[in-house]
Amino acid sequence: MNGPSFVLSAFVVTWLTASLRLAGPVLLAALGETFAEQSGVLNVGIEGTMLLGALASFLVSFYSGMIWASLIAAVLAGIAANLFLAWMYVTIRANQVVSGLVFNVFAVGVASTVYRKAMGDSALPESIAMFQPLHIPGLTRIPILGPVLFGQTILFYATLLLACIAYFILFKTNLGLALRASGENPAAAASAGISVARMRYLGTLISGAGAGMAGGYLVLAQVGLFRESIVSGQGFIALGIVIFGRWNPLKAAVAAMVFGACDALQLSLQIFGSHVPSQLLLALPYIVTILAISGLFGGKAVQPAALMVPYDRE
Amino acid sequence: MKDFLEMRNIVKRFPGVVANNRVNLTIRAGEIHALLGENGAGKSTLMQILYGFHSMDSGEIRMDGKQIRLDSPKDAIALGIGMVHQEFMLVRPFTVVENTVLGMREGRGPLLDLEQASRKLQELSNRHGLALDPAARVGSLPIGVQQRVEILKLLYRDASLLILDEPTAVLTPQEKDQLFAILRKLKQDGRSVVIVTHKLKEIMECADRVTVMRDGQVVATREVRETSEHELTRLMVGRDVNLRAIKPERKPGAAVLQVKDLRVEDESGREKVCGLSLEVHAGEILGVAGVDGNGQSELAEALLHLRRIEGGQVIVNGADVTSRSVAEHRAGGISYVPADRRRVGSVPEMSVADNAILGQQRKYVRGLFRDLDEARKSAEKLTARFGIRGSGIDQGAGKLSGGNLQKLILGREILRGSAVLVVEQPTRGLDVGAVESVWQELIRARQEGKAILLISAELDELLNLADRIAVMFEGRIMGIVDAVAASVEVIGLMMAGIRPAGAANTGATMKEAPSGETV
Ligand SMILES: Nc1ncnc2c1ncn2[C@@H]1O[C@H](COP(=O)(O)OP(=O)(O)OP(=O)(O)O)[C@@H](O)[C@H]1O
Ligand SMILES: [Mg+2]
Repeated sequence: MNGPSFVLSAFVVTWLTASLRLAGPVLLAALGETFAEQSGVLNVGIEGTMLLGALASFLVSFYSGMIWASLIAAVLAGIAANLFLAWMYVTIRANQVVSGLVFNVFAVGVASTVYRKAMGDSALPESIAMFQPLHIPGLTRIPILGPVLFGQTILFYATLLLACIAYFILFKTNLGLALRASGENPAAAASAGISVARMRYLGTLISGAGAGMAGGYLVLAQVGLFRESIVSGQGFIALGIVIFGRWNPLKAAVAAMVFGACDALQLSLQIFGSHVPSQLLLALPYIVTILAISGLFGGKAVQPAALMVPYDRE
Repeated sequence: MKDFLEMRNIVKRFPGVVANNRVNLTIRAGEIHALLGENGAGKSTLMQILYGFHSMDSGEIRMDGKQIRLDSPKDAIALGIGMVHQEFMLVRPFTVVENTVLGMREGRGPLLDLEQASRKLQELSNRHGLALDPAARVGSLPIGVQQRVEILKLLYRDASLLILDEPTAVLTPQEKDQLFAILRKLKQDGRSVVIVTHKLKEIMECADRVTVMRDGQVVATREVRETSEHELTRLMVGRDVNLRAIKPERKPGAAVLQVKDLRVEDESGREKVCGLSLEVHAGEILGVAGVDGNGQSELAEALLHLRRIEGGQVIVNGADVTSRSVAEHRAGGISYVPADRRRVGSVPEMSVADNAILGQQRKYVRGLFRDLDEARKSAEKLTARFGIRGSGIDQGAGKLSGGNLQKLILGREILRGSAVLVVEQPTRGLDVGAVESVWQELIRARQEGKAILLISAELDELLNLADRIAVMFEGRIMGIVDAVAASVEVIGLMMAGIRPAGAANTGATMKEAPSGETV
């Protein structure tokens, strides 16, 4: 193989592998958020939830060394945190965006305090055991596609599977129909004997589980340690991906890959030394997400009609 | 016949109103029970309590002698109670079959079995002669068909008590007959039906007993064969109402609204108004008759620029207004009372006072600020003049009863003082007293020299109010007849798309040549 073409193919492999890797956590968070939004709740709190999930998985992994237990801890932390959010959104009927944003600020405070208490102030960042790429023998040897598609961690494949399951639940089950009805026309749902509050609690808790697990994903498969800045807006990106994916888990998967590709392109270009200013590169994934949400491509996004509208029977 | 269901001493308060005040109602097995009362009398509230939608403040409900608890519609459904609400409860982006199975546990465990449900639905719709496509998206269906969906939902659930809140308000005469036939059949099965309606004729036609409500209380319950329309009216409004508009002679003035060769499409690009021309003169009411969905709404929306005009011209007072913005256009002298009160005619979340000045808010300012005193004063005047009953002008408009909301919108539009008034289904869902006052207001507006385009599915209303009646069918005008000389049969035929032989030179005088191809 001659030089330039080798560099090019190395670049493409690095880029695409990183794309999928980076797409994983945002997709997980977006999948959960899709349930919340389909039920009528805009859960902005997934940003903070991801951070709490990351912290939980880090601590459990650090103290126990059990990687799967750490992942489960992340999910449970997400659900627990969102129990509070669901109570705000559904029972108190507080403004969803404001409660979510305030929760995010609160989560940062909690996470850094707990981390410092647990690890001591001066400690250097501790790293932990991580999920390793599977490298399925044989398949990985396929040029370019092999390492890209079959060199991911098990979490990535689990996330894809979850996207299919999410799609199936939302669109092929009674529960999914009831959940979507609650976000579209809560009065009609209630009139059909559905408890709108229960559906919205469920949607919010699922989004908590998704976001918590996404936080665990960041720690256990991408970074291997905990920092306060580990999430850095990926929860918000997930909100965008839900819109870009038109509240459909499968389309969200595609949207997440597009986002991942932009994010990875930015990284790879920096590694391979491009002349484009790095600030511009850093902004690339966000610019693409904004364009995607704007509805300039793929038609106008029609959100669930009762999204963010609290429901009160009287 | 034995009592099947009993509501005793039901009390329900909303902030500022007692909607139900110690109400008693018994429903027998196998009867059709009508519930009658003025707008705001508390009928819907009572029925929503029975469906578990509202909780009652006190009282008890018994079914087959046993006390039952209705904390949510789920409880009601489990007991075989089903309801078609005054405002439909349909999820618009869902299909017919999805709406039908919503909330039910059916089929294979947690999985949706839409195919089997579709089959069952199809079978039900065949059996009852209610044509319906289970795969159609509900939001795209005309309102009459949406109601069919609501009724099929109940039949699908095999309800033993069916509550229908003003089911006929949106139906054509044929659809109404069909509905009554179904109700009679259900009655023979031993099911009970409660039907809320303002139409006395319908009560006499299909009900066994009738309960009359007034100001949150039950005034009387009567066997239908032992009462009369006359007595029911008196029980309901406390006086005689003679639904006959007295229309003073008036020479129509110049043509104020002229529509020439108008073409309008619906959302899916189908042509709904196909080259329609008409003229409305000052001091004239031009009625537009037709079965719902023949382009009447599209015509009105296009006149108001709420829908794009594909071709043709709209001229108001000699000025071509075809391509103006909605606001300019309305300032230029067109008022509109839409058929959909809650979504188009008002902002339900805002107060009565704010809705009363909606569209004219710029008139009520002092410098940069709103002049709330003036706005409130004019709202008070409006509610007084049009007899709008609620808990005051600070109440949310959405909490007004259907009839009172309609009076609010109509009043607002009449008081705007425009030259042209486009009115769509103005008395749909109104009690006789309210119908009378709306009619009087429309005639008063006519006397003031407004040009009024009155779109209505009620032939009675058109024959009483209109000077001329244009019959619309599939986007075209089948013919225009003089209201005095018009016969119901001729109009009925034209509504069905049949031009009576030699219509132009029979009793129905054609005052104006209908547009091009329809002649
Ligand atoms: N959710 C609510 N909140 C506050 N007040 C309400 C609410 N629903 C109804 N009301 C009030 O209760 C009274 C009874 O209303 P209801 O809708 O039961 O009347 P109705 O007899 O069905 O009238 P219509 O014939 O116009 O439908 C009215 O004064 C109405 O303004
Ligand atoms: Mg009512």
